[in-house]
Parts: sequence; structure tokens; C-alpha cells
Amino acid sequence: MRADAAVPEALRTPPLTDGAVTPASLDEQVLRFPETKPPRKWFLALAFTASLMTVGLALIGYTICTGIGVWGNNRPVFWAFDIINFVFWVGIGHAGTLISAILFLFRKTWRNAIARFAEAMTIFAVMCAGLFPLIHVGRPWLAFWLFPYPNQRALWTNFRSPLLWDVFAVSTYFSVSLMFWYLGLIPDLASMRDRTQSPFRRKIYTVLSLGWRGAASHWSHYEKAYLLLAGLATGLVLSVHSVVSFDFAVSLVPGWHMTIFPPYFVAGAIFAGFAMVVIVLVVVRETMNLKNLITDFHLEVMNKVILGMSCLMAYSYLMEGFTAWYSMNPYLHHVFRQYVGGTYGWAGLLTICCNVLIPQILWFRRARRSYFWMIFVSVAVTVGMWFERFVIIVISLHQDYLPSSWHVYKPTLVDFGILFGSLGLFFTLVLVFARVLPVIATTEVKMVLPGAQPGRHGAP
Amino acid sequence: MIRSPRWLLASAAVGAAGVGASWSFSPPERFWSNWLLWFLFFATLALGALFLVALEHLVGARWSVPLRRMPERLSSLLFLAAALGAAALLSLPVLYPWTRPEAHHDPFVVGKLHAWLNAPFFSARFVACVALWVLSYWVLVRGSLRQDATADPALTVRFRRFAPAFMAIYALSVTLLAFDWLSSLDPAWYSDIFGVYVFAGSFLSGLAATALGAVHLLERGRLGGVRRDHLYNLGGFLFAFTVFWSYIGFAQYMLMWYADLPEEVYWYADRTGSGWQFVVLGLAMVHFVIPFFALIPREKKGEHGPLKRIAALYLLAHLLDLYWLIFPSNFKSPVFSWPEASFAIFFVSVGFLWVRRSMAMGRDAPEGDPFLKEGLEFRL
Amino acid sequence: MTGGERMVTAETAAEPGGKAFAVLGLFETAEDILAAAQGLRDKGLGRLEAYTPYPVHGLDAALGHRRSPLAGMVLVMGFIGAVSAFLFQMWATGIDYPIVVGGKAPMAWQAFIPILFEVMVLFATFTAGLGMLLLMNRLPFYGHPILSSASIGKITRDRFALSLEAYGGAFDAREARAALEEAGATEVEILPAPEPSGPWSANYLLKGFFAVGAACLVAGYATYWAVKLFPVLPPMVHMEDQPKLDPQEPSALFRDGRGMQSPPSGTVARGFLPYSPAAPEEAAGLANPLPRTEPVLDRGQKAYRTHCAVCHGVLGDGVPTLTASYGAKPANLQARAIRELSDGKIYDAIVRGKNAMPSYAPHLSVEDRWSVVHYVRVLQRAQNATDEDLERGGRP
Repeated sequence: MRADAAVPEALRTPPLTDGAVTPASLDEQVLRFPETKPPRKWFLALAFTASLMTVGLALIGYTICTGIGVWGNNRPVFWAFDIINFVFWVGIGHAGTLISAILFLFRKTWRNAIARFAEAMTIFAVMCAGLFPLIHVGRPWLAFWLFPYPNQRALWTNFRSPLLWDVFAVSTYFSVSLMFWYLGLIPDLASMRDRTQSPFRRKIYTVLSLGWRGAASHWSHYEKAYLLLAGLATGLVLSVHSVVSFDFAVSLVPGWHMTIFPPYFVAGAIFAGFAMVVIVLVVVRETMNLKNLITDFHLEVMNKVILGMSCLMAYSYLMEGFTAWYSMNPYLHHVFRQYVGGTYGWAGLLTICCNVLIPQILWFRRARRSYFWMIFVSVAVTVGMWFERFVIIVISLHQDYLPSSWHVYKPTLVDFGILFGSLGLFFTLVLVFARVLPVIATTEVKMVLPGAQPGRHGAP
Repeated sequence: MIRSPRWLLASAAVGAAGVGASWSFSPPERFWSNWLLWFLFFATLALGALFLVALEHLVGARWSVPLRRMPERLSSLLFLAAALGAAALLSLPVLYPWTRPEAHHDPFVVGKLHAWLNAPFFSARFVACVALWVLSYWVLVRGSLRQDATADPALTVRFRRFAPAFMAIYALSVTLLAFDWLSSLDPAWYSDIFGVYVFAGSFLSGLAATALGAVHLLERGRLGGVRRDHLYNLGGFLFAFTVFWSYIGFAQYMLMWYADLPEEVYWYADRTGSGWQFVVLGLAMVHFVIPFFALIPREKKGEHGPLKRIAALYLLAHLLDLYWLIFPSNFKSPVFSWPEASFAIFFVSVGFLWVRRSMAMGRDAPEGDPFLKEGLEFRL
Repeated sequence: MTGGERMVTAETAAEPGGKAFAVLGLFETAEDILAAAQGLRDKGLGRLEAYTPYPVHGLDAALGHRRSPLAGMVLVMGFIGAVSAFLFQMWATGIDYPIVVGGKAPMAWQAFIPILFEVMVLFATFTAGLGMLLLMNRLPFYGHPILSSASIGKITRDRFALSLEAYGGAFDAREARAALEEAGATEVEILPAPEPSGPWSANYLLKGFFAVGAACLVAGYATYWAVKLFPVLPPMVHMEDQPKLDPQEPSALFRDGRGMQSPPSGTVARGFLPYSPAAPEEAAGLANPLPRTEPVLDRGQKAYRTHCAVCHGVLGDGVPTLTASYGAKPANLQARAIRELSDGKIYDAIVRGKNAMPSYAPHLSVEDRWSVVHYVRVLQRAQNATDEDLERGGRP
């Protein structure tokens, strides 16, 4: 089909799978994981992440019992690790929606092999993210006050506050992601139901697969719903991180009030999220022997997206810096000097280095296909994006309009413990997911295998 | 050589007379505001079209290959835009307050006069942009025309290598167009998203012109093999970027409205008061509401009639957008009478003449492209 | 293999008068099933349905399925979500409890756009997801015969099935079977009638959803009016109900049983020294304790303009800044008699009041009063300047 000998090597699209993959071999390869006993390494990893998670949860309990004074937050740095972590995790989640929804709309069929994992990561990341505003309110048992319900003071929540927009955006995002993920899982759960030998598992899969029977009339509604959900999720993913950016950008704090924040936050979120997906995918593909399904091509495309996003970040930094100077606003000038000099100047320089300079390695094809370099870049990006939020939040706050209230922020051990605890929670969920549910959307991959569709031989 | 129809020449002549009259009889800021409007219209449209070409190379899209000649031809408007822009440099003392001595007394402006906002550097930036445009045009469009004859796939590799460089050129030059020619009409005002806003309008107008041209050629049976699946994708892009434009426009507006800082919000105050509110309302309608609801139904995205009407509406909306960006800096309330009408008649005629001529460039589809066959086979 | 056993029951089900629901034929590839579907559809042997491991493009058209109406439903529900979110915010912040926050008007529509968008997406996605499952596909439903057939495991893996199903009209299982075999089915199976739907099926869940939704609406509305009409319902006043002593409440702690204690006799609060002169004459000798410095005069000017100028005039000339409709005639502080009064007498007039003028002691602190006295002297001097004063350039 694409065998035009005239087409040079650089232009050829590699096949989406390595070697011969049939629907039956796919099921055998992917759906067997939930039914087999996990290897020792998995238990070791789980023990590690679960203990991190336990420490984090214990420290959250300590915070709730004692009050958020146990954190390093002070006046004027009222927002620190908690909000940094919140923005960081929401951002990580965006890659999943991008892969599952936006690339679906663009008909990039390479997404089918990695969409399931990315979507699961979205859900786990949003769970981690939701934790932080909840504990930051100080009295999480009164969190229902965030919702507009008729109460005895007869007043409503403040609909003009960006923090309330956040509540709506993040809760909508979580429910939509969950629904999107679950809809995708249903046909796979039906496959697992029909292949498992254990009656106990069959019961669970039967209930979860809702009696899916693969009827053509069902598929037609299913595909329509999936398309609609993809379209809606695309708008949603833009809006969620924009709303998160509004938390900062509608204010008057120099360094926060930037009109570029909405798209820049979205780009940064996708950037960080793709890096996290690459880290997890490399591990999954190696340990679970999925090299024939998640090919070098997949990783290379992911790395190209990371590179593109890095260039967008560079543009945003450039625009921010230029406009800060161009505005001739002395407060902005001061804050931007703090970004690259002053107490936390190292954080600003680290951000630029990790987010702009290091990913440029990916211009080289060899780096895009080497585990070492892609992991190096992805870890750098993850660190860099975390520090970017640190730069935005802490540096802008610690020296605001009133020099008399300037104050240096120092995180406490509890801050670090909760941050690493959230990483533990995330990876624990990822590990459990990898062994309990199909890590690859087998149905979606079957759809694009060569010969799967009548009249079409191979993926578009 | 295509013979230009008489009525187009006649209307161009009528418009030229009006433009000449405007030069003599209307105040200079009115003449130059109109001039700036049409310069930026052609510049953003042509750049948007070239961006579409480069985007296709960058992501290796196949479906758009049969349609690619259309944006390639449209991007030749860059030369018209460059000429108009060179003339528009004369407008600096008329339209731009930073060229006047009073600017030295404005604390928000004086600091940047030396390093950024001065006529020599401004012109140098423009010239550099034009040079980069010509280079990109030469590589991407001229190369593609050469490929018609040679069918050399190595050229496609070169396009793909050049595409990321063009992305940088495009980002830089659209941002400079936005900051230099539009934002500095109010030199104290600043908004770091403004380049992205102009980009959204630019890409939309390039897409719309492409869709309009493609449907026009299809109706004359000239784009053999292109079917509604291809048009559907164009419609889908138009829909997506309508939402994107509105998102960027609303984000910028809401952040400034919410913070209510006097040094920023005056720009919106100028643009939403004394009659301009009706222009904003009209802009919201033609740039968002009407096309958004018109493009929602699946079948509308690929049908000739609706697509053509919506694409034409977008070009109008882009003009209105530029009008709303440019004119309030020098006019307290909206102005529209014979000078604007003559400029419109003249430049629409000139634009049509130019595009008609450019239709002679190469074949209707890039026949040397190795992926043309695959592109024609594209199905939804 | 349970298939053989099942075939027996299926055979009996296929007898005339039996309860055969469908005849199922398995095909190898997507192309086979597409070709077979086109052929079988015209024969009209029953409702034609296909079961596939993934969506096969073109099958809808071959089976003659109508287009999914989901998009329209989603559009309508998204619109309803957007409009209701917007109107609710307008009503809550603009009508029910209008309040200006952050300098934003109660009905600042710009601020309602983000939530409008989120709620629109929420409504639309739930319509798409749940509408597809519950309304369109009638899932969950665990009683479908194909779920207990021998073929289902192959269908969800890699095989394609076509089935002819009895819906309503006459259905001949043998004829259907023959047709399927003729169309190229590799395996054919006859399915018995479906089991009735259980409580966890779409039919019941849908009703349950509607009931819960309606209950939420009613409960919300009722709660809203309950808290509006009866604002101190016992379970809702925990902010008002605090373990502290209110001023007028009795208390068992103190001997006199009062919650609020009066100060011990003879104590003087800071800044509240009692005014000792019994008559204006006694006050005449009081000296102004404050120095005549600029801050003091500023303070006096401020207090004078706030409290005195309304009647005595900004210049102290007895021309009130209010209209003359106020009956009494205020004293002209520029009059010689008052210019010659001692500071103590003016102070006394402020404390006790004079004629129609009430006491200003409650409004002015001791320092304020003496500052006003200084300021009145300044006014008098300014209006009665001598040549000497002019020569000294206004300096004292």
C-alpha cells in the first residue's frame, strides 16, 4: 500500500505494531496480566510507593489534626507547596485527556495503544490534585461549603471568585475523565469477562462490563458518544487549566497578572503530562513486554510533542519577560528580576534550564529513541515544571507591593513529606492499575490493526 | 496569463479614485488607519495560509495534500502585504503616539522609546520580517511548484525539515506584527497574549480563504478527487479555531476586566464605549456565535454552500476584528463612510485580481508530492 | 465444551412454538460479515443484528441502522446546562442575595462564563455517556441470551457474528439458520429467549435516576424556602450558638449573678478623667495643656470642620454651612466678646454646651477639645490680623 519505493526513509510512517499482531494474540498478551500473579519486582515497587503514600497520608492526618501551621506557609506566602502541588498534578492529568481526546479528533491512530494508560494517569493525577485544595482549606470536613447549597445564612457561594470556578472545573474534569475512561474500558472488560476461567473474576467483570455484547447497533451509539466526549473533553481540558491559571491571573500580584497565563498553563500542563507519560510508559513497556505494541515510534512521537511543547514554553517565557520589560511597570520589573536573581533565583534558572534548554536534545533523532535521553529529559521536565509553579507562586508572593511584609519562605519537612506522599499515592494507583485492568485499550488497537476494517488495509 | 475581467478592473479603478480622494480630503489618521487595516489583513491572511502549508509538512498530514496548492497560492499575497507595509511605514508619525515628542512625558512609554519604539528599529524589524517571509515563501512555495515538474520526494523531506524553522519565523513575525503595528498604537498598553490573539485571527483567515478558494475551484470541477471528507476536515479546523480565537479573546478581556488596572483596562474602555460596543457585539456575533452554531452540525462542515458562506463570513469577521483593533486608538467612535468604502472596494478588487493571477501558479494540486495519492484516498 | 449441551436446548427451542429468540452465525473477517449482512438484510427473516469485537465501519449502513440521535441530545442538554448555570448565578448573586464583591457588580456576567462552560460540558458529557449506555443501548442488561451463548467469547475476541432475531412477527429459526449457513457462517447457534431484566438493568436505573433527580430538586427547593422562612431552625444555628457569655446574660460565676460586671468604684478609665469644674466660672482659669504645634492645629482643624463648622461657619463667623432654616442663631466666634474669653471658658462651652448648643463632650475627646480651642484662636487671629501680623508674614 505505502510501498512507494520513491518515498525516502525519512517520510515513511512506520507500522503501529512490531511484528504480526492479531486480535487474538493481542488479547492473549494484554488481558493475561490481571489473571496472573504479579512478579516479585512489582511487589517491591508497590511496597516502596505504598510506604511513601502512607507517610504522606500520615502527615496529612497530622496537618488536619494540628492545623496548616505545620507547613512553611507564612505572610505573605499564603500559597506555597499545597497550591504548587495542586497545579502540578492537575497539569500532569492533562496529557491523558490530550492523548485520548485531542489526538482522537485528529485521527492520530498511534494514540490507541497508549490512550488507556494516559487516561488512567489523568484520573490518578486529578485525585492527587484534588487532595491539596481540600487540605489547604484547613477544615476539610466543611469542604461542602464550596458548593452552592441553600444554607441558614441564605447566601450563596461567591460565583465571581476564581477559586469557586476551580471547584467546578476540577470536579467536572474528574467526572468527565472518569466517564471517558470507563466507557473505553467497557468493551475490554467484556473481553476479560469472556476469557477468564475464575468464576469470581467473571462475576466482577460481568457486573463492570454492564452486559456489553458488542452489538453493531450499540457500537454505533458508542462511537458517536466517544466522538462527542472527545470533542467535549478537548474544550474541557483547555478550560480546566485556564481556570487554574485564573486563580493567579485575575489578581493584581505582579508576576501573576499575565494575560498569557491561560494558554501558557495549558501548554505547560501538556508538557509536564507527556513527560510523566513517557516515564511511566518506558517502565511499563519494558517490564510488561509490550514492546511490540508500544513501539519506538510511539515513544518518538511522544518525544516530538514534548519538544514542541518545550518550544511553546520558550515562547511563553520570552513573551512574559519581554512584556514585563515593555510594560514599564516597576513592580513587574522587580518580580522578574527576582525570578532569575535574588533569594530564589536558582529556581527560576533551573526552570528555564529544565524546560527550555534540556528538551532541545530531542531535536536529535537518536535522543528521541534512546531510553537514557528520553528519561533524562522527562525527569528534567517534571522537575522543571514543578519548579515553574514554585517560581510563579512563591517568588511572586514573597516580595509583593509592600516591602515591609516581604518574607522568605522555607518549606518544612511536612511540606516535603506530603509532596512525596502524593507521588507515592500516584504511583501506587498506577501500579495497581497496571495489574488489575487492561493496560492497553485492546478494542481500540484491534480497530486499527491491518485488515481490521473492510476495504481498508492498514492504518490511515 | 489570466486575463483580468473588466468589472474587476473597473471597480479597482473606482476604489483607487476613492482612495486618492481620501488621501486629499480626509484627515491623515483616517487614511492611514484604513491603509494599516488592509496591510494587516493581507499580511495576516497570507501568513496564516503559509502556516497551514508548514503545519501540514510539520505533522506529516496526508489528507490536506490535494488541497495544499490553494494556501500556497494565497501566500503569494505576502508580496502585496510587504509593499503595503513598506508604504505604511509612512504612517508612523500620524498614527503612533510614540513618534511624537509628548511621548517623552509619559512614564509608561518613555522607558521603551530608546530601546524598542523608535522609527529606525521599527522599520528594521519590519524589513527583517519581510526577508524571512520571502525566504520561507521561496523554500516552501517555490519548492512545491518545482516539485510539480520533478516529483522529487527529497523536496518533501526539505519542506519537513524547514517547517519547524518556519514555525519560529511565524511565531516571531506574527508577534511582531501584533506588538509593533497594533499594540503600539496605544504605546502604554501591554498584553502578553496579544500575539497569540493575532495568530488565531491570522490562521482563521488563512483557513477561511483556503476553504473559500477550494470550494470555488471544486465548483468549477478543477480539484479532481477532492471530496467532502477533505472539506469536512477544513470545516472542522475552522470550527476548532473559532473556539480558540474566542477563548483567547475572552481570556484577555476577562483578565483585564477582572484586575481593572487603569494602565491596561483603558484599552478596553476605548474599545467598548461611545459606539464601539456595537462593533464588539457585531464582532462576537460574526467571529464566534454565528459560525460556531453554523458549524456544529456534522454535515454542514463538508457541504459546499454552507462552508463557502461561513468562510466568507470569517474574512469579513477578520476585517471587523482588525477595524476594532486599529480604529479606536484614533477615533472616539466608529467611523464608516466613503473613505472606508473606497478602501474596501479598491483592496477587495486588488486582492481578487492578485488571487486570480496566482491561480496560474503551478497545477491545481501538488502533483509531484509523493503523498498526493494517499491524500486523495483519505476517508473520514 | 458446553456448546453441545446448549445445542440440545437450542434445538428444542427451534421447534415450532418453541421460544427461539435468535439464530447466530459466526464469520471470520469483517469483510465476510459485511458482505453477508448486505445479502441477509433483503431476505427479511427477522431483525438483523451483528456482534463484533470492535466497531466495523460500514456495518451500520449494511444493517440499515438509523443514525445515532446522541449528538442532538447532547447539544440540547449542553445548551440547557449553559443557560441554567448562567441564570442560576445571575439569580443567586444578582437577585436573591445581591452583593458587591471585589468591586464587581452583582450581575457581572463576565465572571459567570467559566462556570457556565463547565456546567455545559458536565451536562453534555453525562448526556453523551449515560445517554448512550442507558437510553440508547439499554445497558446494563445482564439477561441477553448472547451473553450465555457459546459464541460470546469468540465475539469479544476476534470473530464477527450475524444474528437473525425474533422481534414481534413470525420467526422461523430453521429458515434463519439455513440462510446464515448459506451466507457463509462457519458456526451457527440458536439462542433461547432473553431473561427478564433484573433490578440493575437500564430500565430500573433510568427510573431511579429520574426519581433521585426529582427528589434532589424538591429537597433543594424545600430547603431553600425552609431556611428563608425559618432562619433559626435548631440544627442550622450552630454558628450563633456559642459557649460564651453575652453582656446581659446572668452568670453563676459572680456573686451578684450578673454576666457583665461594673468597674470597681473609684477607678478611672484611661483618657476619661472626670471634668471637675462645677460652673463655667471655675473653668475660666483652665490653661490649654496642648502646645500650639502644627499637628495639634491640624487635629483641631479637622475636629472643628467636622463638628463645629456646620453652625459656626468655616471661618468661625457664625455663618452656618447649613441653610438658615435651622432656627437658632449660632454664636459668631469672631465677635469681640468671644475673642476675649479665656481658653478655659471656650473649653467649658464645648463640654457643657451653651444656649441651644448641646454638649459636645461625647463627640470630642479631651485632646480634640483643646485642639479645637487652639484652632478657634487661629481663626480669630486670621480674621483680625493687624498690620504687625502682616509684616511678620503671618508668623506668631
